[in-house]
Amino acid sequence: MYPSCHPVLLTSKNLRKQYKVCIEDVERNGKLQNWKRTIQIIAFLTPALVLVVTFVYVFLGWSGWLSLTDWKGLGGSAEFVGFKNYIKMFTNDRIFIKSLKNTLVLSGIFIGVTVPLGLLNAILLDLGLKARPLFRMIYLIPLSFSFVVSATMWLWMYAPESGAINSLLRIIGLGSLTQPWITSSSQSILSLAIIYIWQFSGFATLVYYAGIASVPQQLLEAALVDGASTFRKYVSVVIPLQRPATITTVVLLLMYSLRVFDLVWLTTGGGPGYSSQILATYMWRVTFNRNQFAYGSAIGIFMFFLSMAIIIPFLAIVRRRGEA
Amino acid sequence: MRKRKAALGKWLQAHISQQRYMTYVILIALSFFYLFPIYSMINTSLKTAEELAYGPLQPAGKLYLGAYSEAFQRIRKPFINSAIMAISATILSSVIGAMTGYILSRYRFRGSSVLFFFIIIGFYVAPQSILIPLVRFMGMLGIYNTYFALILTHTAYGIPITTLLFRNYFDPIPSSLVESAQIDGCSVMGVFTRIMLPLSLPAFAVVGIFQFTNIWNDYLYGLTLTQGVASQPVTVAVANLKGTTVAAWNVHMAGAFMSSIPVLVIYLFFLRLIIKGLLLGSVKE
Repeated sequence: MYPSCHPVLLTSKNLRKQYKVCIEDVERNGKLQNWKRTIQIIAFLTPALVLVVTFVYVFLGWSGWLSLTDWKGLGGSAEFVGFKNYIKMFTNDRIFIKSLKNTLVLSGIFIGVTVPLGLLNAILLDLGLKARPLFRMIYLIPLSFSFVVSATMWLWMYAPESGAINSLLRIIGLGSLTQPWITSSSQSILSLAIIYIWQFSGFATLVYYAGIASVPQQLLEAALVDGASTFRKYVSVVIPLQRPATITTVVLLLMYSLRVFDLVWLTTGGGPGYSSQILATYMWRVTFNRNQFAYGSAIGIFMFFLSMAIIIPFLAIVRRRGEA
Repeated sequence: MRKRKAALGKWLQAHISQQRYMTYVILIALSFFYLFPIYSMINTSLKTAEELAYGPLQPAGKLYLGAYSEAFQRIRKPFINSAIMAISATILSSVIGAMTGYILSRYRFRGSSVLFFFIIIGFYVAPQSILIPLVRFMGMLGIYNTYFALILTHTAYGIPITTLLFRNYFDPIPSSLVESAQIDGCSVMGVFTRIMLPLSLPAFAVVGIFQFTNIWNDYLYGLTLTQGVASQPVTVAVANLKGTTVAAWNVHMAGAFMSSIPVLVIYLFFLRLIIKGLLLGSVKE
C-alpha cells in the first residue's frame, strides 16, 4: 500500500482528487485487504456500540415508552395513556413544579457563586506564589470525596445544636449568628448550595487556571509595557479572554447540579417539607417509594430533554471553536 | 522570643510585599473553608463516645481507633466489592474507550463524526433518565443485586468519556508513524497493539484514574442495583452507617473517611494526572 493512501489522508477532498490514481490502484489490488480492514474496524467498534446503544439509546426509548403508560411496577399491567403523565406533571403536581423551581434556584446560587469564586481562586494562584501547588491541592481536595462522604461531613457541620458551624460561632462570641441551616425550610436550599460550592469550586478554579495560562504572552507583555498594574492586567486583558472557560464551567456545573442526587438525598432528603426537593430526588421518591414507575419515567425523560437543551448548544459552540 | 519575633517580622517585610501578603491572607481564609469540614470529619472519627459529648470542636484527646475498628467491621465486604467493581469497570471501559477512540481518530469514514457525537452524548444523559429500564434490564439478565450488574453499568456509562479522552489523545499522533507500520504489513489490530497502545500508556494512566475515582464515588447505581452487604458498594454501606445508632457519629465519620482513602491517596500522589483528566474531559469537546 502507498504511504499516501493512508485512510486519514484519503478522506480529505483535495487529497482524494490528487491521489485518485492511487485509490484506484488500491481498489484494484487490495479489495481483499480492504475487506479485511473493514471487518477489523467493525470489530473494534462493536463493544462500544453494543453497550452505548443498549444502555443509552434503548433505555431512553424504553423510558420514553414507559412514560406514556400507567405502569405501577412489577406485576402490574401497563396500559398506554398517551401524554397523561406529562400533562399531570405541569398542571396537577405542585411538588413537581416546586422541584423544578428548586433545581433552578439551587443551580442559580451554586453557579452564581462558584464561577466568580473559581475565577478569583485561579487569579490568586496565577500570581506566582511559591506555595501555589499546596493551595491548588487544597482547593481540589473536596472534589475527591464522594457525595456520600460530603453529605456526612456537612450533616455534622450543619447540625443546629451540636453542629460544628454553630459551635464555632458560639465560641468566637457570635452566638447570635447561629442558623438552623438544613433544618429550616427557608435555608435548606442555600445550605445545599454551600455544599455544592465547597465541592465544585476547585473544578471551576482548574478550568479558569488553564484558561488564564493560555492567554497569549504578547498580550501580557503589551500590558506590562503600557504600565498596567497587576489589577489592571487581569481586569482588562485576562478576564475578557475567559469567555470560553466561563461557558465550559457554567455548562458542566449545570449538568452536575441537574443530576446530583446523593448529596441532597442524604442531607435534607428533599425536606423539610418539600423545601429542598429537586428533580433528581423527586424522581427517585416517586419511582421507588411510591412505585409510580411510569410517572417517574416521565420525570426522567423531562430531565433528559432539559440536559440536552443545555448540552447540544454547548457541543455546537465547542465544535465551532475547535474549527475556527 | 521577642527578638525572634522581630526578626521574623523583618524577614517578612523584606520578602513579602503587601500585595503578596493580601494574597496569602485570602488564600488561607479560603483554605479554611475547604479544609474545615475535612478536619472536622477526621477529628470526630478519632473520638470516643464520651468525647463526642464535649462538642464538635474539641480536639480528640488521644489516638482512639475504636470507631475505626467498628466501622471497618461493617464496611469491609462493601469495600472489597467497591474495589472489584471499580477496578474491573475501569479496565474494561478504558480498553473499550481506547479501541473506539483509536478507530474514530485514525480511520475517518462516512458518518464517523456523527458516530462520535452519538457516543459522546451518553456522557451527558442524567442517570435518572435511564434508571428504571436499567433496573428492569439487570433483572432480566438475572444479575440484579450482584456486582456484575455494577461492573456492566459503569463500563457502559464510562465508554463515552473514555472514548472522548482517547480520541483527543490519539488525534495529534503523527500519521507517518501509522503509515510506516502499515507499509510493514500491519493490520488495524497490528497498528493498535504495536504503535497506539505503547504510545498511549500515559493516556491510560489519566483515563484510568479519572474512571476509577468516578466509579468508586458513585452512589446512585449502587443504591438502585444492589441490596445488602454481599454486593453493595462502599458508598452505600457508609450511607447506611448513619441510621443505626443515634450517637455513633464517630463510627459514621470513621467509615466515611476510610471509604475516601483510595481516592484521597490518588489525589495526593497523582494530582497532575487528575488535573489532566478533568481538563481533557471538559475543555476539549
